[in-house]
Amino acid sequence: MNVDYKFQKLEPAKSFKAINRAEMYVPGHRTCAGCGPALNYRLVAKAAGPDTIFIGPTGCMYVANASYLCTPYAVSWIHAQITNGGAVASGIEAAFKTLARKKKYDGPFPNIIVMAGDGGSVDIGLQAMSAMMYRNHKVLFICYDNESYANTGIQTSPTTPYGANTTFTPPGKEIPEGKVLFPKYVPQMVIGGHPAVKYVATTSVAHPLDLTNKVRKALTYECPTFLHMLAPCPKGWKFDEKLTREMAKLAVETGMWSLFEWENGVYKYQNVPKTYKPIAEYMKNQGRFSHLKPEHIAKMQAFVDERIANVKANTAIPIPTPSSRS
Amino acid sequence: MAQEKMLTGCAAAARGAQLAEVEVVCSYPIRPYTAIMMELAKMVANGELNAEFIHGEGEHAQVSVVLGAAAAGARAFTGSSGVGVTYAMEVYSPMSGGRYPVQMAIADRSLDPPGDFGSEHTDAMSTRGQGWILGWASSPQEILDNTLIAYRVGEDKRVMLPQMTCQDGYFLSHIADKVSVPDISQVREFLPPFKAHNPLSLTCPVSHGPQIRPDQGAPMDAQRAATFFDVPKVIEEATADFNRIFKRNYDPFLEKYKTEDADIAFLIQGAHANTCRKVVDALRKQGVKAGMARPRWIIPWPTHQIAEALGHVKALGVVETSTCYGGSMRGGNLAPEVRASLYDLDERPLVTSFMAGLGGETIWPEEFHHMAKVLTQMIKDKRASQYSYWVGFEG
Repeated sequence: MNVDYKFQKLEPAKSFKAINRAEMYVPGHRTCAGCGPALNYRLVAKAAGPDTIFIGPTGCMYVANASYLCTPYAVSWIHAQITNGGAVASGIEAAFKTLARKKKYDGPFPNIIVMAGDGGSVDIGLQAMSAMMYRNHKVLFICYDNESYANTGIQTSPTTPYGANTTFTPPGKEIPEGKVLFPKYVPQMVIGGHPAVKYVATTSVAHPLDLTNKVRKALTYECPTFLHMLAPCPKGWKFDEKLTREMAKLAVETGMWSLFEWENGVYKYQNVPKTYKPIAEYMKNQGRFSHLKPEHIAKMQAFVDERIANVKANTAIPIPTPSSRS
Repeated sequence: MAQEKMLTGCAAAARGAQLAEVEVVCSYPIRPYTAIMMELAKMVANGELNAEFIHGEGEHAQVSVVLGAAAAGARAFTGSSGVGVTYAMEVYSPMSGGRYPVQMAIADRSLDPPGDFGSEHTDAMSTRGQGWILGWASSPQEILDNTLIAYRVGEDKRVMLPQMTCQDGYFLSHIADKVSVPDISQVREFLPPFKAHNPLSLTCPVSHGPQIRPDQGAPMDAQRAATFFDVPKVIEEATADFNRIFKRNYDPFLEKYKTEDADIAFLIQGAHANTCRKVVDALRKQGVKAGMARPRWIIPWPTHQIAEALGHVKALGVVETSTCYGGSMRGGNLAPEVRASLYDLDERPLVTSFMAGLGGETIWPEEFHHMAKVLTQMIKDKRASQYSYWVGFEG
């Protein structure tokens, strides 16, 4: 059946000032000073505009954000369990499709955005996220990555970096580096296993125009899309709250985080530094790494070196081989 | 015009959903309810149902998908069996707390271990307390009818609650019976289109399910509880309308079979009632004044109707088809509720319970006759000497 669902087309913004000035994520939340995810949310909501519905699985952006009678959302928003963001979004998308077909709804098709933390995306929420992508729902799934279960008091998640001190990976005599595992590499999990997904990109809060346009491009695709967004967490990473933007910038400059777009099978990297800074520069301002010995930092540097090896060739970021992990 | 068809319980539930013109359906395979979704998948493929048919990645996802659909204003339908019902447990309370009136069709199945396909009501009975309306049918006709009645009750603006419409696995789900399939125009007269209260909207932004403070929890719980005080009234109205429009004869809450002058009576839910009725007839022929009552809804529990219909009997046997290990009656889930329902009466029946029909076992007529003997003996002894009898495992 040929139906015009009135999908939205969001033009790219030439400058940050050129996008709609209206804020869709407004005061009313209770996040920490310097909260990366809150800044990230504001940028995403502004980029998406008013015809948007957010799905918020449990996480910081639920617990510290969505207080009864003073939620910060100027657009419709629904809580999902930390487990089921992708599934609830699927149901919403399906409802709008049927209602449009039955002529019970004739407005623009909403931008349906899941705003999930790392746990709600690639740990307990992985099944629902992956199934939504497999089923080809027109949903933008965002993983705002603050690299831990922060709202429950900083516990390790699958994206917490090697060597981080969390309350579930405390460094001690037996386990001096704290976290011993290397993180899941999220974008490639999505790219590698979901034929319906045509667009995946990574962003950081230090690159707001890049972020804005990636959101708008993702929302213009008529298929599932995915954004992996680095959102530094002063409380969890233990850095001075005025340095949130600086941490995101350093992550890109050291290769801890790479900015790229993957569009119809092609990788394109943004803001690639001419020479990467050593990761020690990124780690030195973060209390979560302060216990690490030089050999741990060297191990981490080897891991990062492998990950950035292909960046300049505009190809996929490799999942480092076991040798760098042993 | 209504049409008479031979339908299994699964086909009847699917027909009910089709007649309710459900808009979003979410499936996941597990026996025995699977055939409901197979029927609906065919209807969507053949253009006989204008709905989105979504392959959930599990039961937890099924319930989550229909939650999203209802929040966006669509009439949504899903279903499950056995461990599938319990796998979705996390999402039941958000559903009723969010007041999303979705419907979930259950064809009962035992829980593990060990793996057992047989019917047993423990699956859906485990969800009591989650704020869903919960009812059992005893025939394919009643399954189809309950699908429509439950949507009408659940979507009533005084209610706005999700519903589980249950049927015994295999005994009903896989055995065909004559079903009068109503005409769609009559169904539309009975069941108006779903209108969500405050759906997710672009023109009128809303926040669903924000975080509250502990002191805001109690008033919300009280509100959900108060709603359940109103549900019986709505069930009564809906059943009366249903009986009138479709020429049926349902008691809204409790099927009463020869209970008026009964000395002994059985209380039983679901399809085993069909055997029980026959045994009641046989006992009557032998001169035993037997009767049977069958609750159509377990939530809301028909407290007063049970007291009124069964208060006068001398011995009452609750036939349990679900387990509650370590519970007050050392057996199942219904007997404690039944005893509580009778407590305020000046004179109460003696009450015991019979664990039967577990793991998919048939409850044979001989077993009902045996239970009747136990009940008759209780009258002679003037006491119930056991809380529960595990039928077939006694001494």
